[in-house]
Amino acid sequence: MIQQLLAIFIIIYFISRLTWQYRQQALARSEYRFWMFFWLVALVLVVSLKQIDRLVLSLGFSAPGIAVLTDFAIIILLYFIFRLRLRVAKLERDLTKVVEHLAIKR
Amino acid sequence: MSSIKLPITLIIPAFNEAEHIRSVLDEVVPLVESVIVVDDGSRDGTADISNRTEAVVLRHLVNRGQGAALRTGTDYAVMNDSRIIVHYDADGQFRSADLSRMIEPILKDEADMVFGSRFLDNSTKMPFTKKHFIMPLARFINRIFFGLDMTDPQSGFRAFSYKAVKEINWQQDGMAHCSEILYLAHKNSLRIKEVPITIIYNEYGQRLSGGFKIIKDLFIARLLN
Repeated sequence: MIQQLLAIFIIIYFISRLTWQYRQQALARSEYRFWMFFWLVALVLVVSLKQIDRLVLSLGFSAPGIAVLTDFAIIILLYFIFRLRLRVAKLERDLTKVVEHLAIKR
Repeated sequence: MSSIKLPITLIIPAFNEAEHIRSVLDEVVPLVESVIVVDDGSRDGTADISNRTEAVVLRHLVNRGQGAALRTGTDYAVMNDSRIIVHYDADGQFRSADLSRMIEPILKDEADMVFGSRFLDNSTKMPFTKKHFIMPLARFINRIFFGLDMTDPQSGFRAFSYKAVKEINWQQDGMAHCSEILYLAHKNSLRIKEVPITIIYNEYGQRLSGGFKIIKDLFIARLLN
């Protein structure tokens, strides 16, 4: 229960930070929407841990709901890292184009 | 030495090659029509040394890799209507004596691209592990993934006809450009020929870890495209 309250407190802190950053125009609208959705989903999941436990059990998992959520979180993080790697590769390609252009212009 | 220059534009990518670049340029500049050195963000004065010769020197502000440097030099050569373009190393491992052999099939209109091969004769004294482990693995990977059957798929000594250079536009900035250029040459149905060359090994060169990086780069490029 204490852990759940702590998690809710942290999520609310991040949501308020996010809103503040958006109001300060430090975040684009699309980015704000994405992270707001992310933290709201996290909030819903933390609040409904007991229901998730029941769902996970009915699906045949032996681990508690929080463990399954953590596993999914790791999978999602790995996917984001992969997306980030592709984005870096594209930026590197663009950087090379600029460097080559400047070299040829001399 | 013949006073008639070979009808070649030589592209030499160089990254921190101050130790070798002068002797390489002194050897090749008198032999060919033009030499383009692409200094790939060196911090050891490679560009300054190259500027003291008759070579054209292009500079990358930051290091972008051998494939990128070769592309810069090749694009510049095409803009200046070079008819035959040869890629050449800055570390003194290639022999200028092989240049005429490299372009002969293009001059005779027998090939659009010519690749130097270290395996067509026994003149190259290659490190044991490279010869018997790394290169067979490279050949195997190129055969499986690209359907390419070359004796030396990682050779950096290559000559392009004007037709070939207009058709091949490689994207790889790093060492994966070797495999990509070969693949594009096959894909565009260019006439390809391998000729024997001799490499003088001053250092080991590309290691197995470099091979894994090539595979990773090719994989990411496939996802991006």
